[in-house]
Amino acid sequence: MSGYSQTEPLGRTATMEGNTNARGNAAAATQSHRLRSGGLIDRKAPLEFSFDGKSMTGFAGDTLASALIANGVKLVARSFKYHRPRGIITAGSEEPSALVEMRTGARKEPNTRATTQELYDGLIAQSQNRWPSLRRDFLSINQLFSPIFVAGFYYKTFMWPAKFWEAIYEPLIRRAAGLGKSAELPDPDHYDKAWAHCDVLVVGAGPAGLSAALAAGRAGSRVILVEEDSRLGGRLLSDGGEIDGMHAEEWVRRTTDELASLPNVRMMVRTALFGVYDGGVYAALERVNDHVPVPGPHQVRQRLWRIVAKRSVVTAGAIERPIVFPGNDRPGVMMASAVRTYVNRFAAMPGRKVALFTNNDDGWRTVEAIQQAGGDITAVIDPRGKVPAEYQAVAELSDLRVLSGGVSDVKGGVDGVRGVVVTDSNGRTQQIEADCLAVSGGWNPNVGLSCFHRGKPVWRDDIAAFIPGEAPNGMVMAGAARGEFSLGACLRDGHAAGAAAAAQCGASGNAGEASEAGDEVYAISPLWQVKAKGKAFVDFQHDVTASDVTLAQREGFESVEHLKRYTTLGMATDQGKTSNITGLAIMAEATGRSIPQTGTTIYRPPYSPVAIGALAGHHRDENFHAWRLTPSHHWAAARGAVFVDTGLWKRAQWYPQPGEKDWLESVTREVLAVRNGVGFCDVTTLGKVDVRGADAGTFLDRVYINAFSSLAVGKARYGLMLREDGIVMDDGTTSRLAEDHYFLTTTTAKAGPVMAHLEFCRQVLWPELDVQLSSASDQWAQFSIAGPNTRKLLQALVDPSEDMSNEGFPFMGAREVKLRGGVTARLFRISFSGEIAFEISVPARYGAAMAENLMIAGKPFGVTPYGTEALGVMRIEKGHVAGPELNGTTTADDLGLGKMMSKKKDFIGRVMAGREALTAPDRQVVVGIKPLDAKRRLRSGAHVVPRGAIPGPDTDQGYVTSVCYSPMLQQWIGLGLVERGRERSGEIVRIHDPLRNEDYEAEICNPVFYDPEGVRQRG
Amino acid sequence: MADFSWNTQSPLQRALVAGHHGVPALQAGVVLTEVRNIVLVQVMARRGKAADTAKAAKKLFGIEPPNSPKAAFGKSATLVWSGPDQFTVFAPRADEASQLDAMSKAFAGSASLSEQSDGRCLIRMTGPRARDAIAKFSSLDLHGDVFPVGTAANTSVDHTAVNLWREADGADGQAVYAMLVFTSFADSLWHTIVDSSLEYGVDTSSTRAA
Repeated sequence: MSGYSQTEPLGRTATMEGNTNARGNAAAATQSHRLRSGGLIDRKAPLEFSFDGKSMTGFAGDTLASALIANGVKLVARSFKYHRPRGIITAGSEEPSALVEMRTGARKEPNTRATTQELYDGLIAQSQNRWPSLRRDFLSINQLFSPIFVAGFYYKTFMWPAKFWEAIYEPLIRRAAGLGKSAELPDPDHYDKAWAHCDVLVVGAGPAGLSAALAAGRAGSRVILVEEDSRLGGRLLSDGGEIDGMHAEEWVRRTTDELASLPNVRMMVRTALFGVYDGGVYAALERVNDHVPVPGPHQVRQRLWRIVAKRSVVTAGAIERPIVFPGNDRPGVMMASAVRTYVNRFAAMPGRKVALFTNNDDGWRTVEAIQQAGGDITAVIDPRGKVPAEYQAVAELSDLRVLSGGVSDVKGGVDGVRGVVVTDSNGRTQQIEADCLAVSGGWNPNVGLSCFHRGKPVWRDDIAAFIPGEAPNGMVMAGAARGEFSLGACLRDGHAAGAAAAAQCGASGNAGEASEAGDEVYAISPLWQVKAKGKAFVDFQHDVTASDVTLAQREGFESVEHLKRYTTLGMATDQGKTSNITGLAIMAEATGRSIPQTGTTIYRPPYSPVAIGALAGHHRDENFHAWRLTPSHHWAAARGAVFVDTGLWKRAQWYPQPGEKDWLESVTREVLAVRNGVGFCDVTTLGKVDVRGADAGTFLDRVYINAFSSLAVGKARYGLMLREDGIVMDDGTTSRLAEDHYFLTTTTAKAGPVMAHLEFCRQVLWPELDVQLSSASDQWAQFSIAGPNTRKLLQALVDPSEDMSNEGFPFMGAREVKLRGGVTARLFRISFSGEIAFEISVPARYGAAMAENLMIAGKPFGVTPYGTEALGVMRIEKGHVAGPELNGTTTADDLGLGKMMSKKKDFIGRVMAGREALTAPDRQVVVGIKPLDAKRRLRSGAHVVPRGAIPGPDTDQGYVTSVCYSPMLQQWIGLGLVERGRERSGEIVRIHDPLRNEDYEAEICNPVFYDPEGVRQRG
Repeated sequence: MADFSWNTQSPLQRALVAGHHGVPALQAGVVLTEVRNIVLVQVMARRGKAADTAKAAKKLFGIEPPNSPKAAFGKSATLVWSGPDQFTVFAPRADEASQLDAMSKAFAGSASLSEQSDGRCLIRMTGPRARDAIAKFSSLDLHGDVFPVGTAANTSVDHTAVNLWREADGADGQAVYAMLVFTSFADSLWHTIVDSSLEYGVDTSSTRAA
């Protein structure tokens, strides 16, 4: 190994080269564990930060973890269950222990891994899960009771009484065994989502990933390279090495430069791939601005990427695994590779006296790293009992103390490791002085992404680890991610995978040759656990110990899936990256099975935590969903209209006038203005479909229950369509504008579904018909004009040549008319309010002008714009059904429209509508409902039961569907669906409303409350 | 008798605030334009009359209508594929009545026409970062090799149907994308586009179709 750090020993760090300013000198003062030189940090850019209120300094290029280490901080967290003091264990995204609360106020973010958080000037972090302080944590008393906090503790303890669970136990447990607390203010930052496309997606930019990207890029394919770190290079940044005769750092620089020069290659740092989906879609989270205090103007904090790739090469490396032994969670016990990362990449020394515990050759790299940095290796504990050949010279030169055996205890307290107890194979123990213990239990290839489509990893005995099994379509793994651990193999494997992927995508360019490096030996003798007295942790984040695993086995939870759920092993935010394999190895031993026989739990996305904000992206607050505006929207807004969301539409609900004290007063005024004069309402939101072609009439005959081919040109007709199952789908008026042109309307809610239904009928059911469909919903601005003065208003608006008399424009007439001022409109004499009424359509560009002109034309008659509430009141007064009655359970007959069903023709839903249950005499049908007490407010949703009956499922006979205060009847009225309702007109029933605790009597009546003869609308 | 004026209003009446938005920049990353005064007609071949329809289109516009997701550019109109045996005619509005009349005559007997001049809003997007901004709301791959000039797509944005096609590159060599969106969604989509573009700086304006 040829590390970066040609450093002098610790203790000579008080003055550092390159820091000529006062702040730089101050910076140096706090960094007791910073090496004097080396590392990929910028010593000219000192950064101030605080941890638990204490000010410290670090350098640009640091992570929060490396800066804490440089400042000599070991204790950074309290554990989840036992509140044990914890430190930093890894140097990457697999960190299970060093979780902190970042930032303050609305930007507060709990459970942030200090190992992935880049340092920035002014960074504020807090430890979490402790009170009153990290050093003196009250709940660390839990450790004394640890014998009872074993696996399944909650299930066993908090069982009785059952009703205590939600109210008392759960909140209590959550408070005691929580991690950080989230901010309670809305997140002030923005997030967005974006798509990216490529031929070859390379995941991870270590030696294999860089090789793969370069090969695929040179070959000419479109490449995206994602890397979760802020720098490319992977382990090369920590372990160095020699590639193509140059220092690894130089190779990374040259490779990165070449990749940057290729226009077909896109490199994305700070981007973690977390999901693999069907069709070559991958999800990644880019932490765009997590490394700055506040995102710049118009910048997002994080961006969720959906990457569509024809092929992917996963070069996600491997994760070093811990060994389970008592005290393995003491602050200062750290993965050996992490120790090397802190020393080499960050020039921060995790300890002054480092002991190394390794069962494999790779761990031995740590000896040189520490020694070259001027640190002191106090002992190497290797259960294999001899120095690997490659390291013999080093060991001899430095007179290294090499012990055979295992670490059986770690002495220390809140300040971390003070000593290491080693027990040899004969049971003899000795204590070694150390303030840091580097541990390597071997490496687990990062198989996660390959398993997201249920691929099962495959065990390899020679490396004592799982490698990827069957990967998702289009994905290959390369390098350490598939168990190729030597640098030379990573370079070759990555290059071959990248070149192959590019070729499969049709790229024919020259991928070049793979870079070359040595093939260092990786020998390992598996060691999962050192059995000795004391708490030995498997899962650091969920405080799962080795004895919890064996307890689970004794209690019958032997399957890995049961083990996981019973002990919560691997269920924390780290998803068991450092603990799962070890846990199942211990289970394998306890059950006498092999590790592959024991198996792995199912891997699921996300690979690493994703903020909900990133998943929501732009779609929050007013952008939660898209919206639709009618052409008169701004006109209505200017008049103070209150809008209601109906689906995506914003509709004017009512128009408050000065002095009106509530909505009811406004709505009542609007209704009376229409019934006594004239008013208009924007009904643009109704779905509109142009149905054209020679067979348009035949088509509509099959779609509607009633006939339309017989409709005369220039006339409109109310139509009802059923679903295939005989239930009502939608209703609306459809007009015949020409022999081969119908204009169909739908309800607002069903515009989309009806259009899709019609297209299905046209394209799939009856392709032989000559029918063309197009949505005209947005082409026309449409207004309903209603009230006895409607004709007078229209006469002022239309060209004098138009005959607007009752004969000249009869009820259900439909035709084009010329308006004064030269615009042509479509006019339909249809009524939803029971008054004489027309609907008028103009091209949408004239919608706002139309609203204004209706006001002008109607001014002499007191014209009043009205909203959807008044519209609803008038339709209930007239007993017209709408959404609450067309609710997906009602038949045409239920709605009182059974007679419309033609017997002369076939239509969709005809046969199924004849089913026994759909024609049963006791079905709930639409009726009117009137409370006996005229002052009583009727509420929709209330149940209808017979007078004198005890309300319950057996006596329930229906419910109230629509209600309103009727200004004409001067009382609350409603529509309801009531069993045999039509036979029961005049019957007094009980209205039971347990939700609002109301109970009163009402009369069942004709649903047409107002003008039942229909005189007014024909007048 | 009262006077009625029939002022027209764009669906982007409020949403479109002409000028520069977002990050200040000498050159805006995105240039966003509402194209007003358009004639838009959906042409749908009658059953079995696709060939006649194509012939009629060729006669009227001098170009064959595309029979796959493409846009064809003629002297007087652009024909954009919108489905099997149907396409949308987009033309600058001159004398609307006679333009529509000419089409009615040309396609009489071969195709049904549905006027959509008011049913859709046409938005044009260009600039060095246009593709980056579009990637935030569209799943389409707009790479030049995949989506060259003349490519069209019926796609969806925010669960809403959008017709998107690539016009001839601008004078600055940048790709130009045209998007047709339902009129009622225009306000919403415009906000989405502008929000997506703010980090690159965006110039917004409206123009008359030409």
